Amino acid sequence: MEFFVQQFLNALQLGSLYALIALGYSMVYGVLLLINFAHGDIFMMGAFFGVFGSITLGLPFVPTLLLSMILTGLLGVTIERVAYKPLRQASRLSVVITALGVGLLLENGLLALTGANPRSYPQDLVTTKVYDLGGVSISNVKIIIIVLAALLFAGLYTIVQRTKWGMAMRAISYDKFAVPLMGVSQDQVISLTFLLGTSLAAAGGILWGVAFPVLNPYMGLRVGWKAFIAAVVGGIGDIRGAAVGGLLLGFIEIFVPAYGKSIGISSTWRDPVAFGLLLIILVVRPTGLFGVARRQKV
Amino acid sequence: MLFSVRDLHVSYGNIKAVHGVSFDVEEGEIVTLIGANGAGKSTILNTIAGLQHPTQGEIVYRGNNLARMSAHEIIKRGVVLVPEGRRIFGNLTVYENLRLAGFQLSRAELEERIKRVYSYFPRLEERRNQLGDTLSGGEQQMLAVGRALVTGGDLMLLDEPSMGLAPILVQQIFEILREINRQGKTILLVEQNAHMALKLAHRGYVLETGNIVLAGPSQELVASPEVQRAYLGG
Repeated sequence: MEFFVQQFLNALQLGSLYALIALGYSMVYGVLLLINFAHGDIFMMGAFFGVFGSITLGLPFVPTLLLSMILTGLLGVTIERVAYKPLRQASRLSVVITALGVGLLLENGLLALTGANPRSYPQDLVTTKVYDLGGVSISNVKIIIIVLAALLFAGLYTIVQRTKWGMAMRAISYDKFAVPLMGVSQDQVISLTFLLGTSLAAAGGILWGVAFPVLNPYMGLRVGWKAFIAAVVGGIGDIRGAAVGGLLLGFIEIFVPAYGKSIGISSTWRDPVAFGLLLIILVVRPTGLFGVARRQKV
Repeated sequence: MLFSVRDLHVSYGNIKAVHGVSFDVEEGEIVTLIGANGAGKSTILNTIAGLQHPTQGEIVYRGNNLARMSAHEIIKRGVVLVPEGRRIFGNLTVYENLRLAGFQLSRAELEERIKRVYSYFPRLEERRNQLGDTLSGGEQQMLAVGRALVTGGDLMLLDEPSMGLAPILVQQIFEILREINRQGKTILLVEQNAHMALKLAHRGYVLETGNIVLAGPSQELVASPEVQRAYLGG
């Protein structure tokens, strides 16, 4: 039982982190039908801005988090304006290739600036405390990550469901053509989408650094891919889907190695089993758990 | 003159859809452009609304040339399009569709205008929490007109509001349009249903393959042999 609770919390932690990153993929796809392949590297930038806030400026946890979310959000909006906006009329392939290029630029730019040695994440950002609750040891880090992720998701969900900007974001994903007719500037809605999506990835980056304290410029690749897959499984374009997909991936990745041994699956099979299960979900529901088939509009 | 189009040319790539069209709309009028499928009617409206840019010509509204403005700038000046096929956001509720249409308004102004729309179309109030996708064609058209009323402005452009609707519904919608016009809104109506359009409008223009071939007060157009033969089945 203690073991189960422990693994459950690990899964929630990992799943929350995937979910925070998956949201950005999903939102950007919703408004632009663009898979923003630079998003994993945006997540990595968020983690690095965290180091900047914590070590260079000596800020405590919450201001560091906010600073990184703002800086990363501005970076996301700038990337959209400079790299994607000029391609609004271009083929989708051109935009996807550009996104890959932006990702490479971020990775290698940071590599050139900070060097190739992996560094450890600042330990005093959140001082780890471990509580013992009836044989289950719970670290404050896990609680902070799970609660913060839940709060950020609730905030985003409220924006999307209750505000006029959220309505505009949903409207664009349904019918891009008609949105300007409502007196809404499409470019502003797109900028807002990038701002929200990338600042959530920044929060994910910092929290990832707190949970798994190693930092290198390529950390966004693997995590980014996984979060992208989580967004697709959840139903890309739907933020509930991104949250559920992220949590699902977290649970599979933790529970397969934790319990696989007892049914003869070694922990090295974690990824094949995890992605095998996700593939099965996609075979059964090609649009993902929350997705709806998109009408082609002419 | 509230609104005038001068020598408008619009092309899709190499295909010219509109060849030098000119027409005027006076304040308080209902003017209709009638013509068959492919005559260029929708292209003209979309160009006025800024969804497309002309290759040549002027679109003058209250002394401003709209020809190079973006769609949301044109709306701020007071020209609002009810698009062909209604273009309701099916994933938003009726109320959310209306609220989005009042994006630029203060909250008080917005609620005031939504209330007015509900008074024209009580059906929309009954269904205010239903998703756009679940509405019937007639209700969707009401919502499309309702959205334009919330957005406001002095000139309403309507693209085929009768499309796909039963005659009784078309009459209802046109009755509301007449009422809206009486209260001061100027209307430019594009229609294939020439009979209904000419009954409603003060003046009309007949469009054929991107050119205006006839113009005049509605009664004259109804009586003219060409219109009788080509559009009214007379």
